[in-house]
Amino acid sequence: MRAAPGARREAWSRRVLAMTLVVAAGFVCVLGQLWYLQVLEGARFREMSERNRIRVRPVAAPRGILYDRHGLALVDNRPAFTVSLIPREMEDRDSVLARLSILLKVPLAELQEMLARVPADSLRPVRVRRDLSLEDVARVEEWKLELPGVVVEVEPQRVYPTSTFAAHLLGYVREVTEEQTRQGRYRRGDMIGQVGLERLLDEHLRGRDGGERIEVDALGRPVQVMQREEPRPGAQVVTTLDRRIQEAAEAALAGRAGSVVVMDPRSGDILAMTSSPAFSLDRFAGNLDREAWLALVKDPTHPLLNRALQSQYAPGSVFKIVVAAAGLQEGSLTPMDRTYCNGEFRLGAWTFKDWHEGGHGHMDLRSAIVQSCNVFFYQAGLKVGAEAIARYARAFGLGAPSGIELGGEKPGLVPSPALKRRQGRPWHGGDTVNMSIGQGQLLVTPLQVARMMAAVANGGILWKPRLIQRVERADGTLAYSEASRMTGQVDLSPVVWAFLRDALRRVVSEGTGHAARLPGIEVAGKTGTAQSVAHSDSARGQDHAWFASFAPAADPQVVVVVLVERGGKGGQVAAPIARAIYRAIFLEKVAMAFAGTES
Amino acid sequence: MIFRIDRRLLQNVDWTLLAAAGAIVTLSILSLWSLAWGGGSGIALRQLWWVGVGLGALVVVASLDYRTLVRAAPVLYVAGLGLLVAVFTLGRTVSGARRWLHVGPVTVQPSELFKLIFVLALAWALTSRWARPLSRATLGWTAGLAAVPFLLVVRQPDLGTAVVLLPVLAAVLLGVGLRLKVLAGFALGAVAAMPLGWLLLRAYQRERLLVYLDPFRDPLGTAYNVIQAKIAIGSGQLLGKGVSGATQSRLAFLPERHTDFIFAVFAEMWGFVGCLVLILAYGLLVLRGFEIAAGAREPRGRLVALGVTALFATQTLINLGMVTGLLPVVGIPLPFMSYGGSSMVVSLMALGLLLSVRMRQFQ
Repeated sequence: MRAAPGARREAWSRRVLAMTLVVAAGFVCVLGQLWYLQVLEGARFREMSERNRIRVRPVAAPRGILYDRHGLALVDNRPAFTVSLIPREMEDRDSVLARLSILLKVPLAELQEMLARVPADSLRPVRVRRDLSLEDVARVEEWKLELPGVVVEVEPQRVYPTSTFAAHLLGYVREVTEEQTRQGRYRRGDMIGQVGLERLLDEHLRGRDGGERIEVDALGRPVQVMQREEPRPGAQVVTTLDRRIQEAAEAALAGRAGSVVVMDPRSGDILAMTSSPAFSLDRFAGNLDREAWLALVKDPTHPLLNRALQSQYAPGSVFKIVVAAAGLQEGSLTPMDRTYCNGEFRLGAWTFKDWHEGGHGHMDLRSAIVQSCNVFFYQAGLKVGAEAIARYARAFGLGAPSGIELGGEKPGLVPSPALKRRQGRPWHGGDTVNMSIGQGQLLVTPLQVARMMAAVANGGILWKPRLIQRVERADGTLAYSEASRMTGQVDLSPVVWAFLRDALRRVVSEGTGHAARLPGIEVAGKTGTAQSVAHSDSARGQDHAWFASFAPAADPQVVVVVLVERGGKGGQVAAPIARAIYRAIFLEKVAMAFAGTES
Repeated sequence: MIFRIDRRLLQNVDWTLLAAAGAIVTLSILSLWSLAWGGGSGIALRQLWWVGVGLGALVVVASLDYRTLVRAAPVLYVAGLGLLVAVFTLGRTVSGARRWLHVGPVTVQPSELFKLIFVLALAWALTSRWARPLSRATLGWTAGLAAVPFLLVVRQPDLGTAVVLLPVLAAVLLGVGLRLKVLAGFALGAVAAMPLGWLLLRAYQRERLLVYLDPFRDPLGTAYNVIQAKIAIGSGQLLGKGVSGATQSRLAFLPERHTDFIFAVFAEMWGFVGCLVLILAYGLLVLRGFEIAAGAREPRGRLVALGVTALFATQTLINLGMVTGLLPVVGIPLPFMSYGGSSMVVSLMALGLLLSVRMRQFQ
């Protein structure tokens, strides 16, 4: 460095000079732009500034549409009128608000409160009232000149085939809450999906709002649209649902509390999922007031609950499938085991009764499933052992969330001696006895049972329930797609699968499930009658009725699981509902196809 | 004594530089005053008060030997980072971004102060004994020095400040002899890494970034500012509308008119001719800065002067570019002109640093 300080300094000066020239070029660019704006285009801008009346208006993006697997729409949009305030343009705030309050019959304090939450010079519209009637719109338009800063926008709003159609699954769309705006993802006044698929896919469905810049005259009347940014519509979602099956399931369950899950055992696709009673989707879209909301939340029948995955029930005799599978595979049970059922079973000081007064007589494993004999299974359960039963129950996907993306899924509960010991309580033989007929601490959701039945139907594959096939952007490109995903496998030997399927087929053809019998379609299934409380009386309608099934028995294409809360006996209450659904799926489709060829 | 003022030092005060900055500050006060014309002049008075504070800071910085400051750079750098981190935990959120810290009655913007510390830290890192000759290790280390605050400031999110740090880094690295080709390589690498960062962002964060780059995606927000600023500037025409005629600015069509968009106010009031004067003042300021850098005799002085000048030039050009619609809108104040205590005081301190280098040129 001491070698040539002169040369070094010269190189340094050269580099600084180069940078100076770059910066100078930058200044020249700015001056050039100023010359363009002020001198060349100055007159135009001067004129614009003199009648500077530029208004900005949002143009709401239509929300994406949800389709069923055959392309039928599950929801649609319709235009609706919204009255908004634009704070920056409101010259005499108090008088405008007072007038608007009278015109729309909205309390003045409410309007003031809405405005107080945003900056006074904000350009973003504050949505005051949505889904206005035509008369209201006419009244506001009539007074337009006295209402600077008040605009009527056309916003697309959701419409549904029927007001409760697939309510829990689709979910409702509602204005963001204060809490959600604080998280910073949404703007005040945005409409977003709050539950169900609308919420899950909100980012896709929402689209992007556009806007237009319009020039208005001194009275605020639009003169011309200066620039328009088209809104980008939300993406379209193709679900795995079948609208026809969904409708049939809802119709079949109508009037009862409970849930139906219809699944394709070949792919894990959810074809229908209902929960009853349902809430009315329409009521959420507009201006749902506080009282109506509280009434829904406090309703003793819990209409907001999605019973298919958010309610847990004892599986009752449906669980005998698991006990039989565990026993056969582990070798602790064989199809040749026989026992005599006299209607009760004693273990120590306890007596466990069969549901059939007087007993079923001679029973083997197959007939015990077909007749749903409890006494046989009390003994079988003790032979198989609680730990093995619990292990197979978990293998069938019980006791853990199924992985469906809808929020709030309950995991259910599979008790086991180890678990109970950890809670500091001993496991008794009576616990095993209770568990072997699906009672006791055991809890499952209808969705879990559907997944289990699908595994029985397809030979052991546990699917992640699939609701969404793909999401397509408005321009037709694919935003998201989901393939069927296997999340577990139940390893049973083919002989065991064959035995189970044969037994389940007989449940419908000659056993407790005969109410699900349908000419032309062979249904296989298992009934269940689950005590909702200890020592409940099914005759007084306190038991939950189950029917878990698939069809056609030889080549299963659909799984139908029906649960009726406090419905009574599974075979009498749940099985006929499943039958109605199968009829809609298989027979009415055939009828429709014939009708189609004739016309 | 550090504060002993040598007569030799006083002889070397760069009056041209001071005059250019003084002219800009005067125009700033006048613009703020005229904005409030007819209704309170609180903002102009407060700005005047900040100029007073800043002049005090300028005298202190100029009387210190800049070499002392460069030696203290590591401590200042760590302290500055500490302040940036403090903004995350204690900071006040204004329109979605955390940039301010409350200190008693005033709010300060640590990222402003950090710009200056950054220049000192670069000079320190590139002139230490082990840093020469320029090696790959030194380059990597310097890049790390820049990356940490860059990421912090991006997270705030204060894209403006982050965008300023990069040209300053580039200018200083070119100054120490980095080949343009190597720098271009770095830049390409950074551009190539961007898609990776893109994947890590969530959808709404992407949207926010896209609005930054293309304001017309958000027609109610930034795009409105841009069009109103253009109308304000253009309507000034050749000679301006004067104070009372400046309807765009005074009737509040123009957002951020005291701070980032103050140039549009000035342009509306004084027209192309006024702008020419203002830009000449900035040109003079930057030109003198580069001259001081070129004339400095030892490496630390050179780099400090070059860094400070690059800082002025970058902020000025980006601000003018965005207000006139040449560049996307990022939040950068116009040095010596925009309303804001932190920006004014730090700009005057930077000026003090330049003076300090110039005054000790012949020692």
